[in-house]
Amino acid sequence: MSQDQIRPVEVPVPGRCAGPPPLKPAAEQPDRSTSGYVRRFRRLALLVVIAGAVTWALLGTGVGIASLYEGRAGAGRLIGGMFPPNLSADLLNSVAAAVFETLQISIAGLFFGALLGLPLALLIAGNVRGPAWLASAARLFATFMRSVPELLWALLFVSTVGLGPAAGVYAISLHAAGMLAKLASEQLEAVDPAPVEAVRLTGATRTATAVLAIVPQARNNLASLLLYQWECNIRSSAVIGFVGAGGIGQALGVSLHLFRYQELATLLIALVLMVMTVDRISRALRRSMGASVATSRKAD
Amino acid sequence: MRVEVRDLIVQFPQRPDRALDGVDLTVEPGEQVALLGVSGSGKTTLLRALVGAVRPITGTVTVGGASVTGSREEQRRVRLRTGIIRQRDDLVVGMRAQTNAIIGTASTWGPVDWLQVLSGRVPTRYREPLTALATRHGIDSHLRARIEHLSGGQRQRIALVRALLPDPDLLLADEPTSGLDPVAGRTAVTALQTVPQATVIVSTHDIGVARRFPRVVALRAGRVIFDGPLPDDDDIAALYEPVGVL
Repeated sequence: MSQDQIRPVEVPVPGRCAGPPPLKPAAEQPDRSTSGYVRRFRRLALLVVIAGAVTWALLGTGVGIASLYEGRAGAGRLIGGMFPPNLSADLLNSVAAAVFETLQISIAGLFFGALLGLPLALLIAGNVRGPAWLASAARLFATFMRSVPELLWALLFVSTVGLGPAAGVYAISLHAAGMLAKLASEQLEAVDPAPVEAVRLTGATRTATAVLAIVPQARNNLASLLLYQWECNIRSSAVIGFVGAGGIGQALGVSLHLFRYQELATLLIALVLMVMTVDRISRALRRSMGASVATSRKAD
Repeated sequence: MRVEVRDLIVQFPQRPDRALDGVDLTVEPGEQVALLGVSGSGKTTLLRALVGAVRPITGTVTVGGASVTGSREEQRRVRLRTGIIRQRDDLVVGMRAQTNAIIGTASTWGPVDWLQVLSGRVPTRYREPLTALATRHGIDSHLRARIEHLSGGQRQRIALVRALLPDPDLLLADEPTSGLDPVAGRTAVTALQTVPQATVIVSTHDIGVARRFPRVVALRAGRVIFDGPLPDDDDIAALYEPVGVL
């Protein structure tokens, strides 16, 4: 008999040859025994609940055409007061200073956020296999940091370290660290597991495995994530300025409170231009890296 | 290194059949063995069990006197002396070929070595052995290339160099010829067989590859059904056809 005839035939097996099977159980099948009547009743009940919730919210907050119409005088005053925007040299100088301060807050916030958030991400990522108690502690800490909104962090820091950009940097750093810890740990967990196991099977320690196999694979996506966080920091630093945490937001707040609407217009234009420019730069850089970080986030 | 497997049973969750069903195997130091069997016969699981990558239900695996199924420390001691080449390409993309090739030596790196590696270079003391090994396997001109720019055959050779650089006492190769053309496959097997003094265990579904080994262990459904030198073609037919193995 020739060798060809007794050559083994590949038998299709689910997944990779004898590799570890998926740990998660198969999704439960929907219960098909439920009758059509019950299903229809459930759907109707769900619709009633949704409609009730929306009505309750609309009535409770008093939104609607009427309230907008009542505010028409104020809106007219505000918009009318904005024209023409104040383009005096003095104001443009201070606007430029505010823009630069916002950029500084966002970059400093990114720096400290990454410094704190990326090590946390390494501890949290399941494939790094950090000690379980440390991973849980890191996850809890990161959740806490991002659950408190930047605005609240800013209020806390303004009341402790005082008005100014430093408070903004602390506020943004903490929130960014919490976000980065979560999102970066997801990027780390998404790397191809085969090279990670290969490195682990050489007898490498957990740290060595993380540094040599996990981080290099996630590097582009992590860089992209940092750029995206920078975009978010810019927007946040504009908002937290209202409570006195520096930057263009603080200048906006002052102009609004003092009814200087022409200044307000100039500042708004500057803010929009800055955010658009940073978005474009960040997006171009991220695209050039070929990274695949989704731009929709804050999923938790 | 002597490899001893005793009554090894491995079952993965949610699989009805055992991946390994009472395997007994002894491989003497320096011996060269081919594991032969179809996909799903347990070859890969057995190789993975030898370095503690799968957790058995029962049974023991001892390699060079250290119990792989015992403490983590003993397991690590075995891994440090074992070179592994896997079926699937498992090099780290985004890194240079040379960085991939030296990964097996990471446990010996000091702070200076780490600095050199993180800056994309090879630790000084490994430069010469790496170049020598890469030259022997015809991949020296590609050491500075990024992994994603190498062909399948070139990657396989980098994986081979990675496995050989720490000077392992045990070499495990899972389907080392899969995805390679016949000439490259032949070269890969020869490279494994010419490592001095190493115990070599190679899994394959290819009788042509198995025939190049003095001892063949055939697996079916997680059991050893044949152990010894592979007989002639006619005898193989007589041996396997009635049980429908191959």
